[in-house]
Amino acid sequence: MDIATQRKWDNAVRGYDLMNGFGPERRWEPWKRQLFSQMAGNVLFLAIGTGQDIQFFPPGRRITALDISERMLDQARPRAEQYDGDLALRHLDVHDLDYPPATFDQAFTSCTFCSVPNPVDGLRALGRVLKPGGTLGMFEHTGSRFFPFGLMLDLMTPLTRRLGPELNRNTPDNVRRAGFVDVEVEPVYLDVVKIIRARRPD
Amino acid sequence: MSAPAAGHTDERIMERRPYFLLGDLVSNTAVGGLVALVVASVVGETWPMTLAMVLGMLVGDFVALPAAVGLSVLFGAMELMLPVMLSGMLSGMVVGMRAASGPMSTGAALALGAALGLLALLATYGLNVYIQGQHRRRVS
Repeated sequence: MDIATQRKWDNAVRGYDLMNGFGPERRWEPWKRQLFSQMAGNVLFLAIGTGQDIQFFPPGRRITALDISERMLDQARPRAEQYDGDLALRHLDVHDLDYPPATFDQAFTSCTFCSVPNPVDGLRALGRVLKPGGTLGMFEHTGSRFFPFGLMLDLMTPLTRRLGPELNRNTPDNVRRAGFVDVEVEPVYLDVVKIIRARRPD
Repeated sequence: MSAPAAGHTDERIMERRPYFLLGDLVSNTAVGGLVALVVASVVGETWPMTLAMVLGMLVGDFVALPAAVGLSVLFGAMELMLPVMLSGMLSGMVVGMRAASGPMSTGAALALGAALGLLALLATYGLNVYIQGQHRRRVS
């Protein structure tokens, strides 16, 4: 377990729902519902946080949701109990995934790989527990190639990194570097917020 | 998983929910106006134009960042923060240069800042439509 990252997110739990629970979630709701509507089979959800995304999960799915922060999971538990389906929460670091290879049909993330310290290693770990041909669906924010937004995100990252996410990562490239194929990127807002879909090779 | 149907994407090329449209409008014009007031009160008529522009930009970012973080609670994360930061930067630069070139009333500074906030918002809407359109053409 990456103790420094765990501590960072344990500390972030206070005020997390206030900052993210209304504006950002309502704004992203249509896109998240669309992405999560494609959940099928045995699903792994990485970094459930306080469980804000559970409200957008389609009912009746079988989902294992992980988070590195026990305090985040404490907030998520009441929301998980309300879910109309099979939703299990686990306290686990993506770098320590202890599932046998090829356990899951799909993996989903939501604003996760802006924060995983070694994103390519984390994505490789996800690929290992996905079945051959299994799919990855990500709702993520990244850096921008457009001025001045790219510069703004670069300048803000040294500050935001201390509190939580990095704002200037190139997550689609990280997905490719981790060995996923058929990588599709759908813009949600500018080239910053995006849905990334990919597949583990057969 | 596959890409969504084109019709699905069409509906989301631009934000259409009134709450968020109004939130974007109020946030950007308010921050543009606020930055303009601060910059106009700091920059003197005798200042070199370049110094006024650079200082205006820095003050604009300094004022816009906390405002953007606060407003994002109500109106969204990146969708709110990026245009508001641009509004602050643009308003600071332009009003700084304008204040260095001659006298400017408080009302004129406020109006110019708000107009620049609106311009920044429209520019980001336009860029977003361009990016979404490019994607739609690629997948169709």
